[in-house]
Amino acid sequence: MKKFGMTRRKFLAGAAVGSASLVASQYMSFDTWAAEKAVSDEVTVTPTLCDACGNWCAINVYTKGGRIWKATGNPIAGLNKGRICVKGHAMLHDVYNKDRIKSPLKRVGANKFEPISWEQAYKEVGAKLKEIVSKNGAESVFLVQYPEGNEALTKRFANALGSPNVFSHASTCFLPRNIGWWLNTGYAKPEQDLENARHVVFIGRNPAAGLQLRMLVDMAKAKDKGARYVVVDPRFSEMAAMGHQWIQIRPGTDLALLLSIAHVMIKENLYQKDFIEKYSVGFEEWASKIDEYTPRWASEKTTIPERVIVKLAHDMAEAAPSSLIHRGYHGAMGTQYKNSLQLVRAVGCINGLLGNYNQKGGMFNAPKVKLGKLAADKFPQVPELDMPMADGSGDPERYPLTPVGLGLSQAIPELALAGKLKAGFVYHNNPLRTCPNPARMIEGYRKLDLLVSFDYVLSETASLAHYILPESYYLERDDVVHTNHCYTSKQVAIRQAVIKPLYDTKPMVQILIELAPHCGIGEYFNFTLEEYNRAALAPLNIPLERLKKEGVIDLGDQWKPGEPKFVTPSGKLEIASSILKDLNLPEVPVWEEPLVSPNPKDPYEFRLIHGKQAHLTHARSINQKYLKEITALNDIARVWIHPERAKALGIKDGECMTITSPVGKGRARAKVTEGIHKDCVFLPSGYGVFAKNLQRAYGFGTSYNDYLPTYFDPVLGHVMANEVLVRVERTQS
Amino acid sequence: MPRYGIAIDTTKCIGCHSCRVACQNQNGLDYTETFNWIKDKERGKYPSYDKEYVPLQCNHCENAPCQRVCPTGATYTTPEGVVLVNKKTCVGCKYCMEACPYKMRIILHHEGIVVKCRFCIEMVREGGTPACVTTCPTQVRIFGDLDDPNSEISRFIAESGAEPLRTDLGTLPKIYYKRS
Repeated sequence: MKKFGMTRRKFLAGAAVGSASLVASQYMSFDTWAAEKAVSDEVTVTPTLCDACGNWCAINVYTKGGRIWKATGNPIAGLNKGRICVKGHAMLHDVYNKDRIKSPLKRVGANKFEPISWEQAYKEVGAKLKEIVSKNGAESVFLVQYPEGNEALTKRFANALGSPNVFSHASTCFLPRNIGWWLNTGYAKPEQDLENARHVVFIGRNPAAGLQLRMLVDMAKAKDKGARYVVVDPRFSEMAAMGHQWIQIRPGTDLALLLSIAHVMIKENLYQKDFIEKYSVGFEEWASKIDEYTPRWASEKTTIPERVIVKLAHDMAEAAPSSLIHRGYHGAMGTQYKNSLQLVRAVGCINGLLGNYNQKGGMFNAPKVKLGKLAADKFPQVPELDMPMADGSGDPERYPLTPVGLGLSQAIPELALAGKLKAGFVYHNNPLRTCPNPARMIEGYRKLDLLVSFDYVLSETASLAHYILPESYYLERDDVVHTNHCYTSKQVAIRQAVIKPLYDTKPMVQILIELAPHCGIGEYFNFTLEEYNRAALAPLNIPLERLKKEGVIDLGDQWKPGEPKFVTPSGKLEIASSILKDLNLPEVPVWEEPLVSPNPKDPYEFRLIHGKQAHLTHARSINQKYLKEITALNDIARVWIHPERAKALGIKDGECMTITSPVGKGRARAKVTEGIHKDCVFLPSGYGVFAKNLQRAYGFGTSYNDYLPTYFDPVLGHVMANEVLVRVERTQS
Repeated sequence: MPRYGIAIDTTKCIGCHSCRVACQNQNGLDYTETFNWIKDKERGKYPSYDKEYVPLQCNHCENAPCQRVCPTGATYTTPEGVVLVNKKTCVGCKYCMEACPYKMRIILHHEGIVVKCRFCIEMVREGGTPACVTTCPTQVRIFGDLDDPNSEISRFIAESGAEPLRTDLGTLPKIYYKRS
């Protein structure tokens, strides 16, 4: 098998292998093939971390005859508890994807690249960068990344250059969720004790497709013990399939539902008074403002019957304190609506009314591991930069609540067009596909004098880069020590190479260490990855060798219910936020209209909403053949539309629809289903790849970003991804 | 000797297809070849609208129609009640594919043989559990001995009243479904 593979690869690579080898391989007998297969059947197992999405689940990867074979989940890992999702299994194969970048590349024309040596790439990137910095200052340089694992070192790289402009995907993903929770509790991402919760409400959150395995494992167990799950969503999500009740809501009005639940709980004295008195501030102010938010008022906004709202409030209160509203992610509470921040604030406050903080079956904060740092005497520290980002993040006059280091990645093209950003580095991210309005993104990124990508395939963004310094695939590289598996106990984990790199690629940390001297910041990268990792583990007294052998180590310190703790200015749950008051923003959660609403009299007008499917991650996974096959076989890239609305437009199930917005036009086939609210159409995300070099995915499906104008939420600056009205009609043949 | 079966709780299935690809990897299948499918079934109108994901795989029938029609005897049942195909004697005639009322068999075109779910029998004989069971995020499947009244699967079937698909066919499947 191995020999056969080699011959074929060489042949495909255009090496001087004559047709003889092809003929020989075609006529290889089954016995020869079987014999070769048997010889190379040695099995190895290596513990490492998955990279199919941002969770980085702990997996044990098996090779057979030197080839990646399969993986099993690490049973002690807090994030995945022994399980692996569909993407985790499928992305193993992508190490052999023929679309991979095989060496450093230099762009020599439109979508035309030539291979160059690492030395040449470093030299040319370094020289160009120095020229840009000397002409325009270090603030004209930016880095945009999916902040995971190596983020401390990529940030170190940008800050060493003197630039605060480190962007992430936050403004297209979770920004209001984090800021809202931080305002409420002082923690940006609290956890929930789903194993013991008796009643859980999901507001637009769909952990069954935006997968987090630990949640599903816990919920499946709790469901057996009688836990009840209520899913509030405009469409029947995968979570609804596992839940007990689906409450269909008009998109963008979740805040109205929550305010009326608070109304019922407060008016009927159904809240946990002891908790509120002892651990919260601002209850009276909020109570005095919710008179108008009656279930009748909310029913008109949300289209949910009054009695359903009242019953939900009663059910939630009855199960308190082992009753909670899920902390949310992208859906509803993420970057989808203008009122998302208010919504998260309301969710945090109602969890307060339920008194569930740090209680069994309630919200809690995961214990954190503090890793060590490189010794300052031997390894110079990068001076702290105390300045806002070019997009206004961290600027008291613009987006004071948006953290430096997360930023607003959809602002990059605007800043490039204005000449404020000149050079960019893109790591583990594909902003051209994951940000709104691709035409605008392309225009802006084209304006840059230097764009460097570290991608492993020629994604949309990498296709525009001047240089590509390809990172090794996650199965081929070592990374920094990671603490993401801390859930109910402290854990450390590490990613390590399972096989040697197949091509001339390098681990990201190695690339930064080698590139830094050419950019004039070599002194800040005078260490090896091993030195960095040993320093990280030093305070924990764990040898690096042991961590590499076990993959994940549990350090104990199990979370236990107890006294609630908040790290807000008042030290309490801030129903009234002093920070928001200082900014002249509503102090307590109040109603805020969504930015747009479809005209009920226009049969063609819909709100366009989107969401994940369990088998796809963002834009890159659809280029994976095992995952794309799931979409194709089950025909699930279709756009959902309600039967009544479809009938009025003459659209039948499976027929093609044309979708038009102010910035985009596209086509998609219809899935006519009762499982969606009449006001909207639902577009599953993860499709619409327009990078020609992603050969399997190119041209397949459409993305919600194609229809979304470039928006900036007035308070946080996020993209407000569901605030777009589209015209839907039957495609004329 | 145990008699193996799987109980499936569709009320916990989220249709993620993790079982499908875990199985493909375990058995070295290419992306179009699978031993697992998930069918979704929509019912009713809101507020009583519901969607169910139903995982499907070979039922390892006691009274297996596929085995009866095999002209070479390639399809056989192991002492543990697992229906397998002998690669060496299968001639790829596809009679079994026609005979299977559940349509749970596929042909590997490059090898010219018919294959299907094997309950990961090598792993199971070494004390393991099939790949589709261990990977499932919501523990939809329970694998075990149907003849042991104290096994998890037997207790689950007794408590939930789980039943095989199409019992009217008389095939006596060993996959049990709890569907509500």
